Amino acid sequence: MGELRQESRAAWAVARKELQIFLRYRLNAVNQVLQPIYQTLIPGILLGATFAVGGKAVGLAETAGTTDITGYLFLGMLALTLCTAGFWGVAFSIKMELDAGTLEPVWLTPTRRETFVIGMTIAGLIYAVITTIILLAIGVWLFGAELVGRLIVAVPILAIVSVGVLGIGYLVGAIVLRMREANFFVDATDFIVVCLSGAAFPIIVLPWFVRWISYLLPTTHALDLMRVSALGTPPLLPLPLEWLMLGLTSVAFLLVGRWAWLATEHRLRVAGTIGQH
Amino acid sequence: MTRADLVGDLRAFAAATRKEWRILRRYKGSFLSFVFWPIALPLAFVFQAEAFAGGREDTMAAFTERAGTNEVAGFLFVGWATYMWLSIILWGPGTSLRDEQVRGSLEAVFLTPASRLVVLFGPAISQLIWAIWIFLVVGAALQIGFGVNIGPFEAARGLAVIAVGIPALYAIGALFASVVLRFGNVNALVQGVRGLFTAVCGMSFPIIVLPELAQRVALALPPTYLIADLRSVLLAGAGLGAVIGDLAILAGMGVVLAGLAVLAFKRTEQYARRGGKLAQY
Repeated sequence: MGELRQESRAAWAVARKELQIFLRYRLNAVNQVLQPIYQTLIPGILLGATFAVGGKAVGLAETAGTTDITGYLFLGMLALTLCTAGFWGVAFSIKMELDAGTLEPVWLTPTRRETFVIGMTIAGLIYAVITTIILLAIGVWLFGAELVGRLIVAVPILAIVSVGVLGIGYLVGAIVLRMREANFFVDATDFIVVCLSGAAFPIIVLPWFVRWISYLLPTTHALDLMRVSALGTPPLLPLPLEWLMLGLTSVAFLLVGRWAWLATEHRLRVAGTIGQH
Repeated sequence: MTRADLVGDLRAFAAATRKEWRILRRYKGSFLSFVFWPIALPLAFVFQAEAFAGGREDTMAAFTERAGTNEVAGFLFVGWATYMWLSIILWGPGTSLRDEQVRGSLEAVFLTPASRLVVLFGPAISQLIWAIWIFLVVGAALQIGFGVNIGPFEAARGLAVIAVGIPALYAIGALFASVVLRFGNVNALVQGVRGLFTAVCGMSFPIIVLPELAQRVALALPPTYLIADLRSVLLAGAGLGAVIGDLAILAGMGVVLAGLAVLAFKRTEQYARRGGKLAQY
């Protein structure tokens, strides 16, 4: 019990350190909030407007079961910020430690190696939650998205999917440690996972074999459950099965990710290459 | 300026181009990125467009009426290819100066008798090679994936439009380079301007769907004309004569912006040299 408390304190200390670094670069922090708006939301809404008939997104009603493009894409941005927490929250932090030459000394402390990734993911999830709150506030003010009241169900969904995001964090951390210069890989995989989760479009428009990969991602089920609850869209799978898939895929990602992280850490320790970058 | 000065500057320009190209080749991962992004980014919007169309004829008719073409994939791929080229240009001169600053070589480079314009525009040629590469990848993806055929005449007209757009876009890049010398890191500013271009210049939509005020902002920005004209000549079969008015505006913007960029860069360089700030970052 004492060890668990110590590890929790260490994870929180890592998260605080990451948040402190993030907040030092204020313009970058502001940009991180605005980026999903100008890079995903506005181009998406305006592309939707190009296909609108009589001011209504009748095509989206056929494929997603709603004509509310703004609400649909707003919820998609939530998946985007969550994925970014898992991908970039961990990748950036490990890369910075590698480049600064501080990873080896940090790993000499008695804290477990997994705890560092947990701390980095907590920091990433905190930005994700703050970003989401700000985005929702902007959405309500600018576009009149009436989602907030119906998003109470998002709390348990976010709690479950956080486990999967932690698993993604472990996997990304292992990849960064092995590849060292993994920016393109992380960026590309983040983009692919966001797209396959259905952030910008319903996955029904994807080819069937790609759709099966989507079903294996916890973010797909989290996002779909949120859309079902907030917009009344038809679910991808029967609801009990969708909740089950959310739980199963989240736990699977955590187990596979943790295994990959520990195996990589062991390999680097044996090879003595932790300090290389 | 004597003839010898001019020849010397041209040699320095060629040397700067070779150096940048050599650095680019060292990072093989960037080649992969220049194949992945020109396909993946527009493809995501093609799927989004498919969702918005919903397989209905009336939605496709609405798109054709507003966009002036029924080639949804072509429309989006050309828009996002221009966006990627624009990103390279916006980051290019500023990032190159910043890298020299961080490596500690900027002061040494500024001690040479070469013109400052060589320092500023030296990386431009290697970036132009990337731009051509992006458009080639997009052309191949459109032909193989969507059966959109861009013939040699359309391609030649597209290159002419790009050539007219180059001064305006490089001038914007040079303005950012001045900001780098003055303030150091400008990532957030570049992201913000790129965001403005994405939001109003019509990468994924025709600007006709924007509110009136946003349309006016769009018409004051060079990328709007570049994207619209590229789509006209590549997808709608328009000749250069049909877009000559737009090209004249784009060329005019290029002259004004290039003048501003040279002035801003000279001023900032003087400030940095007098204050001993060239090596600070």
